[in-house]
Amino acid sequence: MNNAITGIKTTRRSFIKGAVALGAAAALGGYAGLTKYSPTNLFVTARAAAAGEEKLVKTICPHCSVGCGTLGKVVDGVFVGQEAWTDNPLNLGGMCSKGATIKDIVVSEKRLKYPMEKVDGAWKRISWDGAINKITGKMNEIKEKYGPDSVMFLGSAKTTLHEVYLQRKFAAFWGTNNVDHQARICHSTTVAGLLNTWGHGAQTDNYNDLRHSKCLFFIGSNAAEAHPVAMQHVLIAKERGAKIVVADPRFTRTASKADLYIRFRPGTDIPFILSICNVIVNNKWHDKAFIEAKTHGFDEFWEVCKDYTPEMAEDITWVPADKVRELARIFKENGPMAILWSMGGTQHSVGSQNIRSYAILQLLLGYIGKSGGGCAALRGHDNVQGSTDMGCLAHYLPGYLGVNSEPAWKMWCNIWGIPYDDMIKRFASKDLMLRNGMTDSRWYEGALRDDINQPNRIKMLIVWGHSLNSISQMKKEKKGLEELEMIVNIDPRATMASSLPERKDGIIILPAATVMEKEGMVVNSGRSAQWRYKVIDPLFESKSDLDILKLMADKLGFGQNFTYSSVDDIYTKEICRGVRSIGMMGRTPERIRKHMENSGTFDPENLMARGGPNDGEYYGLPWPCWDEKHPGTPILWDDSKPVSKGGHDFRALWGDKVPDNKYKTHVGESMLKAVGGKKMYANAAGVGYALDLTGEAVQLALAAGDPPTGRGRARFWTWDLTDPVPKHREPIESPRPDLITKYPTYEDKDKTFYRVPCEFKTAQNPELVKKYPIILTTGRQVEHMGGGAQTRGSKILVEIQPDMYVEINPSLAGNIGVKEGEMVWVESNQGKVKVKAKITERVNEKTVFMPYHWAGVFEGESYENRYPEGTAEYALGDSCNIVTAPGYDEITAMQETKVGLCKVYKAQGG
Amino acid sequence: MPTNKFLLDTSRCIRCTGCEAACKQFNEVPKGIRRLRVVTINEGVPGETNVPMPCMHCTKPPCLSACPVTAIYKRDDGVVLVNKDKCIGCGYCLYACPFGAPQFPDTGLFGSKGKMDKCTFCVEPFNQKDEDGQLIQREAKPRCAAFCGTKGLLAGDIDAITEVYKKRIAGKLPTGAVPDVA
Repeated sequence: MNNAITGIKTTRRSFIKGAVALGAAAALGGYAGLTKYSPTNLFVTARAAAAGEEKLVKTICPHCSVGCGTLGKVVDGVFVGQEAWTDNPLNLGGMCSKGATIKDIVVSEKRLKYPMEKVDGAWKRISWDGAINKITGKMNEIKEKYGPDSVMFLGSAKTTLHEVYLQRKFAAFWGTNNVDHQARICHSTTVAGLLNTWGHGAQTDNYNDLRHSKCLFFIGSNAAEAHPVAMQHVLIAKERGAKIVVADPRFTRTASKADLYIRFRPGTDIPFILSICNVIVNNKWHDKAFIEAKTHGFDEFWEVCKDYTPEMAEDITWVPADKVRELARIFKENGPMAILWSMGGTQHSVGSQNIRSYAILQLLLGYIGKSGGGCAALRGHDNVQGSTDMGCLAHYLPGYLGVNSEPAWKMWCNIWGIPYDDMIKRFASKDLMLRNGMTDSRWYEGALRDDINQPNRIKMLIVWGHSLNSISQMKKEKKGLEELEMIVNIDPRATMASSLPERKDGIIILPAATVMEKEGMVVNSGRSAQWRYKVIDPLFESKSDLDILKLMADKLGFGQNFTYSSVDDIYTKEICRGVRSIGMMGRTPERIRKHMENSGTFDPENLMARGGPNDGEYYGLPWPCWDEKHPGTPILWDDSKPVSKGGHDFRALWGDKVPDNKYKTHVGESMLKAVGGKKMYANAAGVGYALDLTGEAVQLALAAGDPPTGRGRARFWTWDLTDPVPKHREPIESPRPDLITKYPTYEDKDKTFYRVPCEFKTAQNPELVKKYPIILTTGRQVEHMGGGAQTRGSKILVEIQPDMYVEINPSLAGNIGVKEGEMVWVESNQGKVKVKAKITERVNEKTVFMPYHWAGVFEGESYENRYPEGTAEYALGDSCNIVTAPGYDEITAMQETKVGLCKVYKAQGG
Repeated sequence: MPTNKFLLDTSRCIRCTGCEAACKQFNEVPKGIRRLRVVTINEGVPGETNVPMPCMHCTKPPCLSACPVTAIYKRDDGVVLVNKDKCIGCGYCLYACPFGAPQFPDTGLFGSKGKMDKCTFCVEPFNQKDEDGQLIQREAKPRCAAFCGTKGLLAGDIDAITEVYKKRIAGKLPTGAVPDVA
């Protein structure tokens, strides 16, 4: 493996010594018992520190998608602390509490230390060899008995880019599309919404560009807690005069920085946005020149939008009509405006259409593709943009190529060095190879029911860096885990995969190394890649995901396809070659490492290097980066500059003309930009740029001064979606029976929907509100991340945020007789949780809020004794996803956890 | 000789608690001791404001005047420190401090308060001495400010941080307006 690391700054400052010595003195007692498991000592003594050399290693925060850089401080191979990486252009040294305690999280006694197996109800230490033999033996047994599709893989957005790529590749070699990861429940609806509007599904701008916005419109994003360091750029924009508008069911910490706060009902984004669009068009404030030149389907859009007057929307959304008018004026007068969203926008049964409505607002005002005018989908994890790009998803191969595309499989087989026919043989059938797999949001259905679109149920689940408590319907999930023949949990922590099910055996745990213990690329929300240097060697007996993948592949007989001479090889020989659709060709590890070494030359205003060895390049080569000379594309769809300088244009994804469609209208109308329109480029043999391994198509495009994706039109009107224009549909669990009648959800889906039937209309019960009258929404706490196993395993973070709670408005608290700090039950149709009451005006009297990072307590019962000894986190709490609603997005199966119904009442003795 | 100070730009503070966490990790501060704490007023309603509260290293520290055993002293660079060998843990400094900076660990058989600990501008960790009994004296460079996610918490020589803040205020003013900060 590629162990030589460049770019490490070595300094020597005497004042450090004392700190190191203290670390040793204070902590040796507590950790002494652990060192015998560890190939490396966890702490150094004062004398060792004096003799040793202090290294500062550039690394990237493992939490949200801002991509903050920090310096890991290492003495004699021991991770002793962190310093601020002040010239990283993304964060200028700034970290939130999670990022400032990476050392505390990594060097934690709560981590998994060696492989373990649950036998007769007790956790038993086993060897790596024994564990790998058992796991692969069971996999082969299941393949023999039930077929490869009865093994499901949950990959991870929290590992490095090449590892998540290999997780996807691993599933292919195993012979199933049942592979998925957190992107499904994070921003899958963003990808579907944006991609269907203009060709790519990523954030169009980057965090730093927010500095140039004249207005920042947060809808469904509490960035102050979920993406704290992004607020550095937001508040700089505010100081320069930008207006901050926050629309959210809660008065969040982000809202406290707003010039205008709008409280709206969860699940009503579409009527809210359409009513703003309605005012804009009625006032003729829309950008007609932009719409005519670069978009298609405005008239079809207006046919729908014209009915969404502010007065009509008010009854649905809670937003007074005059506020909508005020907002429309603010957006028009303060352009370009950026829209920012996270899970508040995406996690809905209409999630994809929510995002479509945001994109449409930007098209209407002509703000998209301009500096300051982005669609900022703030992704959740440090590498979730990368893991989405790598296609670790049930419906994609790497590079957003659908699993139902034979040419896509053929191209990847070519890169992987396996004949296409041999790949087909690895699957149960060619048909199953070309069929979407099961999603992480509903994997348990595959373990629990027979009416599924594959030969047999899921029998084995390999959870490879995924918190199961961030998935909804946890009671069903628990049952699913109990039905399986084997669960494999590969993680630095003992997460819910091993502690949730009530079972005596059939669970194997493998201790994975943290991202601080290996090197590789990581891609932030702004599509910028950074190189994470290895800070320390893996602690205890843990191994990197790469090493684990190799061990398993060797045993399963396809090890030769997982053998590389270096980490760099995985990028240059496979990822950069194959992920062509989004232009990964120019993003080599060597170039990215050069950016890390010269981070100080990049301007935080626009991420462009001024002078130095990377002059003119954009930090982290944001994709598309078409070849090794390309500077990266900081802002998607920006046609104001040449492609060679990072310019771009709407992707001509739908060909040059509107095809025949179910409405039989607009057929043959141009889908190319009015002036200079170009189709997507292909090579001489007619192979499109995305599959053309010769690179000819890309070079043709660049020579012509065009993006290989052509110059097309964005779509107001999507003829190929159920709703061609976004329209209101009530959430699955709605407090308004009258509106369910008027704006019902979708028809139920059959088993072709990611292999499992899905209820929409049948699940939407107008009577439910009688029993459960309160709206439940969920979100983040700044001190914790995802399922929380890592952050709740930090003494520091747990001291700052020790509690799972439910936010209750004082009026509701008064009505149910609950005081601050008392225990309450929050109960829904799905289950109930026992949590602390936090009385606050953040929510109104119709809504309650719970954070989703908590686990280890299930419906009031502690599961601490189910963890392997000594691995339960410092703080446990009941999981909100026991209670959240059973809704799913109609396109992507995204879970609807941002709106549901519940009741709240005082717990006995609470 | 510089004069070290904190400047708390509350318009930038979002209560990400990065300062609290960075402080605890760097200074090995035990549970229960908060050398710095972000205080939120008007939580959940318009006007919600967060204020990170470390020791303000006062020019004329009331704690220093109040200390009956002269355990508290002020260095030439403005940093106020406590000599834990001298401190008797009476708590009078807390009574004198307008900001609640002095902290007392809950130790001893009767839960008596231990020796006072507070923000040292990152000069001293919680345990002031290393294993050889030597007093640890590090660079006066607060990690709370170095790690502040929004650069709202400024620390260092008062002249230098005033310059930073002046520029920031200038950005908020209409063009041509003259900042009036110092």
